[in-house]
Amino acid sequence: MIEAKDINFAYRRGVPVLKDIECTIKDGEFVALLGHNGSGKTTLSRLFMALDHPRSGQILIDGKDIVNLEPADLADKIGYVFQNPDLQILADTVFDEVAYGPRAKKLTEANVKTQVEAALAAMGLSSLAGGYPRVLSFGQKRRLGVAAALALNPRTLILDEITNGQDAAEQTRMMEYLKAINEERGVTIILITHDMGIVRRYAKRTLVLTDGELVFDGTPQDLFEGGEHLEAWGLRRPVVSALGANFGVSAATVDELCAHLVKGDECDEDD
Amino acid sequence: MENVISFKNFYFAYSKSGLVLKDINLNIKKGSFTVVIGPSGAGKTTLCKAITAIVPFYMGGSYAGEVQVLGESTKGKRVSDLALKVGLMLEDYESQLVSLTAGEEVAFSLQNHGFPPEETQERVQKALAEVGLPGRESYQLDELSGGQRQRLLLATIMAVHPEIIVLDEPVSAMDPEGAEELYALLAKIHQDFGTTIIVVEHRVEFVLPYMTDIIAVKEGQIVAAGTCEDVVEKIYTEPGLQVLLPELWQVKCSLQARYGEHLSLWRKLSEAADELRVKGFKGGEEA
Amino acid sequence: MKTIEFKLTAFTWIIITLAVTAWVFILPLQAVATILVVQLAGLLYVKHDRMTLAAIGGLAVFTGMMVLLQLLFGSSLEVSLTGGLRMLVMTMAFLCMLATTRIQDIAKTLVDRFHLPVEYAFMLTTALRFVPNFLEDSAITLDAQSCRGYSNRGSFLKHMVSYVVVIRPLVMRAVAKSETLALAMELKGFGKNTYKNMPQEPLTIVDFLALLLVVFLSSYPFWAKLLK
Repeated sequence: MIEAKDINFAYRRGVPVLKDIECTIKDGEFVALLGHNGSGKTTLSRLFMALDHPRSGQILIDGKDIVNLEPADLADKIGYVFQNPDLQILADTVFDEVAYGPRAKKLTEANVKTQVEAALAAMGLSSLAGGYPRVLSFGQKRRLGVAAALALNPRTLILDEITNGQDAAEQTRMMEYLKAINEERGVTIILITHDMGIVRRYAKRTLVLTDGELVFDGTPQDLFEGGEHLEAWGLRRPVVSALGANFGVSAATVDELCAHLVKGDECDEDD
Repeated sequence: MENVISFKNFYFAYSKSGLVLKDINLNIKKGSFTVVIGPSGAGKTTLCKAITAIVPFYMGGSYAGEVQVLGESTKGKRVSDLALKVGLMLEDYESQLVSLTAGEEVAFSLQNHGFPPEETQERVQKALAEVGLPGRESYQLDELSGGQRQRLLLATIMAVHPEIIVLDEPVSAMDPEGAEELYALLAKIHQDFGTTIIVVEHRVEFVLPYMTDIIAVKEGQIVAAGTCEDVVEKIYTEPGLQVLLPELWQVKCSLQARYGEHLSLWRKLSEAADELRVKGFKGGEEA
Repeated sequence: MKTIEFKLTAFTWIIITLAVTAWVFILPLQAVATILVVQLAGLLYVKHDRMTLAAIGGLAVFTGMMVLLQLLFGSSLEVSLTGGLRMLVMTMAFLCMLATTRIQDIAKTLVDRFHLPVEYAFMLTTALRFVPNFLEDSAITLDAQSCRGYSNRGSFLKHMVSYVVVIRPLVMRAVAKSETLALAMELKGFGKNTYKNMPQEPLTIVDFLALLLVVFLSSYPFWAKLLK
C-alpha cells in the first residue's frame, strides 16, 4: 500500500511542483496517473520510488516512511519502468537484463533463473531470452523494461508512459499483459499515460494532477462521462466515451459502442 | 492534379537487412495532407527516408526502381539540396536541433546554402513568427519547452520555403493539448502556403480534421493509397489495419456494415453525433 | 551574464589565451602570480554564478593533485608549486575565454583565421549543445540501475564503480544519437560554407590595444635584457 500524506515538492529553483498531495493506493489497484505535461505526475511517481524525497509530508510504503530509503531498498516492493527503454538497458543479453535486479539483490543463481523465467513469460519474451537487447523491436524493448522490473516480484509496478510511440496492436498487447499481471498476481499497477482510450479500457481508478494539485480521484467512467471539465486539465475524452455520451452509452471500445447503438424503427421520425 | 512524389516499382533493403520496401507504386498529390499508417516495422520511416533521398543514397543499401520528387528522380541528388524542397522532421527531433540559440538554428540551413545575411535574417524572423515564436532569436535552446523546440524545428524547415514537409510521428510524446496545437499549426501552414504535408502517425485522432489522403503500409507493401473517401472501407476490411483508422471511422464502417446504410466520413465528433441522431440511432441494449 | 565594459572579439581572446600559455614560462613568477589574481578578479566580476565557482574550484583541486603528484615523484616543493601555479594560470586562461566569449564565435574564428577544418570547429558547438542532454540521460540510467536494486550507499569507490557499469549503455546511445546528428547536419547542408555566412565580429580599438599589450608582454625576454 502506498500513501502520500500532505506532499509538497519543489526542485532547487523553488517553483512548487506538487502541492498538498494526499492519496492512498491500495494493493491490487489499477490506477492511471493523468495530467498535462509538467503537472507533476512523473514527479509524484518518483517520490513513491524514493528517487526524490518530498520537501514536506510523508510517503508511506506499507505503513513505513521511506524518507531515509533509496530506490534500491524498494526494488523488491516497487518496480519502476522509465519512459525511454534504451536508457534502461544495462546488460548484454535479454536474460542478463532481467536477471540484473535479482543478482543485485544477491539471490542464488537457481532463484535468479526461476524469477527471470517467470518475468519473461509474463511479458511474452521467453523465446528471446538469449538475444541481444538492442536489436529488439521498440515494443519488445518496452516489454523487456517491464520484465526487468517484474523480476524481483514487486507488489507494485509504476510505468511511466510506456505506451507511447507504439501501434494499436502493440499497445493492446502490452496492456493485456499488464491486465493479466494485475488480475492473476494481484500486482498494483500505476500507469502514467496520455492515452485516454487505454485509461478507459484498462484503468479502474484515475488520479488527475493539474499544476501540482490533485484535482480528481475517481473511476475512468466518472472522469470521462461525468461532465468534468477535462479540457481545463489538459485532457481529452476518448472518442468512444464522448460519442457514447450523446446516446447515453457507456462504452470502452468501438465494438462495445457499436453494439449498443441501435437504429430506431422506420416510423420513428424524431428523437 | 499534379503529383509531387512518385514511387515507380521501388524496392529497398538496408545493407544488412531483407527487403524493407517491396514494389512500391505510389503517387502523392500536390497540396494534399497525406497520413501514412501501418503497424510498427511496416516500413513507414523508410518510406519517409526514400522521399528525402536518405535512402538509398545517403545510408546505402540496395534498391530497384525509382523515386521522383517534383518530377525529378532522387538518383544523384544531394540530400542537402533535396532538403530545400522537402523538409523532414524525424521522430528524434531533438537530434535535429544542432545550434545553441533559436535564431542560429533557423539560420543554419540558409547560411550553409549561401543565402545572403539580410535575406537570412528576414526569413528567420518570418519563420519564427509563423510558428508562434516571434522575436525569440536570441533564446537559448534550453529556455524553450519541448513543444516550443519542436515548433523551432518546424521554423527551421519553413525558412527554406519547402514545397513538401514530411514528419515521422511528430506527437508521440506529447500530451493531447500539445498534439492538437502542433497539428493546428501544420494545418495552417498547409492552408496558407499550399505545402504538401506527409505525416506518419499512430495517433490518428489528431489528424482526423485535416487529412485528405491515406497511405496504408503493411510488411513493406502499400495496401491502399488514395483519398480518405476512396480507401477507408478497403482499409477497414484489412486485418491488422482496421484498428489504425480513426475511431470515428471505425464506428462508421461498423454501423454501415450492420445496417447497410451509408454514413458520411465524419471529421468531428459533433458531425457523427448529429448524423447518427438524425438517422434514428439511439443507445440501447446489445443488438 | 554581465558583459565587460570593453568587449574583446573571440580572435583577441584566443590570442590572449595562447599568449598566456607562453607567458607562464617566460615571465618572472611574480608576474605570473599577478596574472592569476587578475584572472580571478576579472572572472568573478563578470560571472559569479555557482557553475563558475565550481569550475574554479575544480581547477584548483586538479592543480593540487598535480602538485602532489610531482612531490611524489621527487621534485622539490618549490618546483612542484611553481609547476602548479603555471598550470593553474594556463587553465584559468581557457576558463576566462569560455566565460566571456560565445563558443560559436570561437568556432568561427578558428575556422576563418586559424584554418581549422569546419568539422572540428563545429564539435565545440555540438559538445555544448548535447552534453547537458547526455548528462540528463546518464542520470536516468543511474536511476534505472538504482531501481533494479543496485545500492548507491557505501564507499566512494563503490560510487565510482556504479558509474562505470553505466558507461557502456551510454556510449552506445551516444553513437546512435551521433548518427542521427550526422544525418541532420547533412540535411542542413553542413560543409565548407558553414561559417562563411555567419556574422563576423569586427576588430575594434579595444582589440588592438589588447593585442598590443600581448605583443609587449610576449617580448619581455628582449626588453628585460635591454633594461639590465
